[in-house]
Amino acid sequence: MGRSPAYVIAVVALIISATPALQAAQTVWSGLVIAENVAQPQPIPPELTRIEGSLKAFFGYNQFQVIGQSQKKLKTGQEDWLATSKFFGLYVDARGESEAGYVLNLKLYKEKELLLETDAKLSKRSPLVIKGPQVGGGQLLLVLIVQ
Amino acid sequence: MKRFEEKWTAWLDGQLSGRELAEFEASLPDKAAAEAEKTGARKLRQLLKDQLGVRALTNEEFFSHQIHERIAQESGDVSPASGRHRIESSTWWTIPRLLSAGTVSVAVFLVCTVLLMHEKKPTEESQYLTQILNARVDPVISPNATVSIFEVKQDRVTVLWTEGLQSLPADYAAK
Repeated sequence: MGRSPAYVIAVVALIISATPALQAAQTVWSGLVIAENVAQPQPIPPELTRIEGSLKAFFGYNQFQVIGQSQKKLKTGQEDWLATSKFFGLYVDARGESEAGYVLNLKLYKEKELLLETDAKLSKRSPLVIKGPQVGGGQLLLVLIVQ
Repeated sequence: MKRFEEKWTAWLDGQLSGRELAEFEASLPDKAAAEAEKTGARKLRQLLKDQLGVRALTNEEFFSHQIHERIAQESGDVSPASGRHRIESSTWWTIPRLLSAGTVSVAVFLVCTVLLMHEKKPTEESQYLTQILNARVDPVISPNATVSIFEVKQDRVTVLWTEGLQSLPADYAAK
């Protein structure tokens, strides 16, 4: 009888310690997006639906088209992957996971030319949008979302 | 002049004599009953003397008694105090004190909880938002480029805003 509380505490501690591991296997969607203003805008891709309002309000475009994307399921938080279009490449190198999210190193290439590099702590609840170079009448955006 | 009760007591004790004794015995209405009562009183006195008399202590008992008395006197300062301490220790956790202690504990717990929540709130809030740790633009390709960071509260979106990057023709929008 006297050991019962100890067992309960041990079980609760195991559950608590196991919880982050259960949450670890999450998918990060990375996309190269061209934002434009057109007369007949196409529907927004489903991956961007949850931030559609913010994209339109913040960048002022009415159409968002994905020209390259990648979905990576993270298990260790140390993976790396590439999302590419015909001319651009977004290289993502995950460098660890915390309770809040993933530490990522991002590199945007135009063909073999490094345009932009950044380190970010990507939260599981907060998407990241990077404004890239002007492309024609539109804008290249890099979007990362933990799904 | 002695009253009858005084003479009766003196007669019982055998303290009357001579003429006084003769006069008293002559005044008794029933001398036989009085003699019987006198005999009974003597027996009672003897019985009380035998049973209730102070027993003389032997030497050993006397010294033992003396030593116990001394010990009791010398420890007299401690015993009452220790007794008081026992009473105090047994009565310290009274219900009012328990209630006070409980109230104080709950108050301290609440204060600590509120303080911790206040301290933790910004941290938890920042954990929800993606953070840009640093950003670099190639100064050769885009020498006038700048970067800014914005947070869009609506969808908790973090935006890394670059300005001055090299513009590209529309062909680069190809999939």
